[in-house]
Amino acid sequence: MSARAPIGQRLKEFEEREIERILGACTRCGKCYEVCPMAQYSKAPASDSKAVVGGVHAVLRGAAGTPEALGWIGVCTRSGVCVPACPENVDPKMMMRLARMTALGGRGLPAQLPVKEDPDYFDRVRAFARLQLSDDELKDWT
Amino acid sequence: MSEHITFWYGCNVLRHGDIIHACLDILRALGYEPEPVGGVDYCCGTVKDANQTAAGGMATRTVGKLNARAAPVVVWCPSCHSHMHDFMARTNDRHFDMTYVVELLHAKRERLGPLLVRELPMRVFVHQHIGFNDLVPVNRMVPELLRLIPGVEVVEADYVAPGYMCASFAAIPRALEDINNNTARSARAAGADAVVTVFHQCYRELVGLDAAGAIPVYNYIHLIARAMGLAYEDEYKAWKRAGEGAAALIGAERIAKVGIQFYERAILPELKKRPKLQKSDPGS
Ligand code: SF4
Repeated sequence: MSARAPIGQRLKEFEEREIERILGACTRCGKCYEVCPMAQYSKAPASDSKAVVGGVHAVLRGAAGTPEALGWIGVCTRSGVCVPACPENVDPKMMMRLARMTALGGRGLPAQLPVKEDPDYFDRVRAFARLQLSDDELKDWT
Repeated sequence: MSEHITFWYGCNVLRHGDIIHACLDILRALGYEPEPVGGVDYCCGTVKDANQTAAGGMATRTVGKLNARAAPVVVWCPSCHSHMHDFMARTNDRHFDMTYVVELLHAKRERLGPLLVRELPMRVFVHQHIGFNDLVPVNRMVPELLRLIPGVEVVEADYVAPGYMCASFAAIPRALEDINNNTARSARAAGADAVVTVFHQCYRELVGLDAAGAIPVYNYIHLIARAMGLAYEDEYKAWKRAGEGAAALIGAERIAKVGIQFYERAILPELKKRPKLQKSDPGS
């Protein structure tokens, strides 16, 4: 019998490789923060763009993030303006997504941002399916 | 012979059965044989940022199910499409070609155009986001598709919202308020008589502008379907407009399918929710 990889193993390994790549390539120039249209909505807007990226790196390493970094991570909604703004081709959108996963405790490290999962999320999807599809469609399409 | 495709519609578009049904008819009219799949069992896992074990499991399961169908996949949901691009396909063995639905409709526009026979005299403002457009240039393609409809005039948009779709702003109410207000204001300033969304996640949010009386709101599929003579009723909009009174439209039999308690706790608040509009907006 072949041994099966634990659930989510390849995803976790990919994320670890990406984090290593990002931490190695990013020079903390802060350009990604400067162009971000969501920074204005942060609970702790930063005046030092280089420092806020340093805080994001701390989160990626599993250390405590600064309030400014966590505030930025909390409002990232993937505009992607940061991607072409980055002079090092880091893909800051990926950096922020991985930081978000980490800060929410998704990578097995202690959560630093409150997890606001909607307990009805999947049941609501099922309920709307029952309201909108016929019994046959429900059986065949979902 | 028509080409078999898997139409992977996603999860939350199940609020809008009319959009799913219209997409299937449009794809059939373009010569495809679409097999729709979606819902919780085909979730991409993008909502599980706080649990990467679950996200990885869901991604592997869904890629496996789509592989097993052995057909090209046409994707409706921008979240599923970008999650497949950014994570799922990089951590699983994907054996199918994948296209975003706007890309496919745009590529087939010479065939689509002659099917759009009903005139829809309206000036529309296309609600756009900054994100996702780098993966699929929907901000150019959707206006180009809408311009194929006789009578439709697309006004120049001077407002592009941050993020990639509205639903991800649920936890950032100040930003969502700005998006609602800026969209309504820009649409009116441009002389538009309706707002058109690209994604269902934006439609679900902005149809609140319609329900509040600020401006009519549609998804682009609604207009393409109407121009083709497809008459699916937009029940979600009717329920949203009715708010508290939606139960009468849905009917006791359907509500019993989801349970009255669940309906009142988890569905009705969404139908009653209205955007916070600034004083100058008529719907405020
Ligand atoms: S991700 Fe790019 S833009 Fe952002 S700080 Fe690092 S190098 Fe600069």
